[in-house]
Amino acid sequence: MLLRASGETTGKTFSVKAVTDGSHESGVPHGAALVRLAEATLGDAAAVLGASREEVRKALGPDGLVDAAAVIATFSKMDRIADATGIPLDGPMGLLTQGLREEIGINHFASASNTPESGALARAAARVLGPLAFRVLRRVRAPGRRESP
Amino acid sequence: MTALDYETKQLAYQGAPVVVREDLVEAHRRAWRRIAEPGTWWTGEQRVAIAAETRNALSCSLCRERKQALSPNAVEGEHQSLGGLPAPVVDVIHRVRTDPGRLSKRWFEQIRAAGVGDAEYVETISVVVTLTSIDFFCRAIGTAAHPLPAPVAGEPARHRPQGARPEGAWVPMIAHANATGPEADLYGVHRYPNVGRALSLVPDEVRGLVDLMTAQYMPVHQVARASDDPGRAIDRAQMELIAGRVSALNECFY
Repeated sequence: MLLRASGETTGKTFSVKAVTDGSHESGVPHGAALVRLAEATLGDAAAVLGASREEVRKALGPDGLVDAAAVIATFSKMDRIADATGIPLDGPMGLLTQGLREEIGINHFASASNTPESGALARAAARVLGPLAFRVLRRVRAPGRRESP
Repeated sequence: MTALDYETKQLAYQGAPVVVREDLVEAHRRAWRRIAEPGTWWTGEQRVAIAAETRNALSCSLCRERKQALSPNAVEGEHQSLGGLPAPVVDVIHRVRTDPGRLSKRWFEQIRAAGVGDAEYVETISVVVTLTSIDFFCRAIGTAAHPLPAPVAGEPARHRPQGARPEGAWVPMIAHANATGPEADLYGVHRYPNVGRALSLVPDEVRGLVDLMTAQYMPVHQVARASDDPGRAIDRAQMELIAGRVSALNECFY
């Protein structure tokens, strides 16, 4: 959701499929290197991690590596909090991201059962309002927002 | 590794292959200190034991077998534990560290039936994820994990917030409207998403979560505002791509 919203606020379209398929091109600058770093950090292969770390350091500098590592650290934490406490998706977020979740294929995750299914009327409304929400984001694009090259 | 004693030494990144910005180092120091100090339901000694058991989970053969199985329930056995913590608490630590995407409400209810209080459970989760988060940071930048802190003596506060109520998650949480009295500062003026309120049965753990998140990612109030730039060396889209990929690898629906 936030990746797509981030694209909307900068007038770009990023492919959210890269989230569930690491080999998919996201369109995010240096996205492939960042995805490889995330995968290697969570994986077991030390040699792969060393190479992906170096790739990010060369592409985005040492500060970029630190901030990428900090995001990996954050979500290693937040994901576990969400899954261990059984929280549902926040009401409007659940509805607005309905199409997105189908698109990237995460509805089969075990933790999906923590979010009750929406009724037919709510699902129909979400089909209309979901894309509209992203269009609104495009309109409120922040002027002068910094982007990586 | 020897324990870090906060009277004489502090967590540091001097040997790291990259310079870590100072606000992040300070946030990690505060997180390490929180692990060492008495919490709301666990003593400092118990909290450090939870942190040690979190690392130990990575070498547990039961966890490894369960991770490979189609269902974690298909593999019976005992965790390889360091000892000192009740078996159900060890199960919580190992499962949350090694296989968080397949936790279930049924499993949680079994843990509760085995005698783990809901607030003790929340505090355990918080220590596990704090340790896990900083360990992953060290791994990603290519430096050794920090020695665990030496426990600080003292008694837990044993404060159960009156505003915590069931609202659909496995554990009670404090709604914004119920954050009053000692919890009046908990969310400030901002709307916290469910994940920001998930640990609110132990309010100090929310305060710790926010402190760490602000330095590692961004302040809570900026998260839902996709146009906000938290001023990192990578842009917002790069941050969200990493976040999404990590969450998918963890099989986290939220």
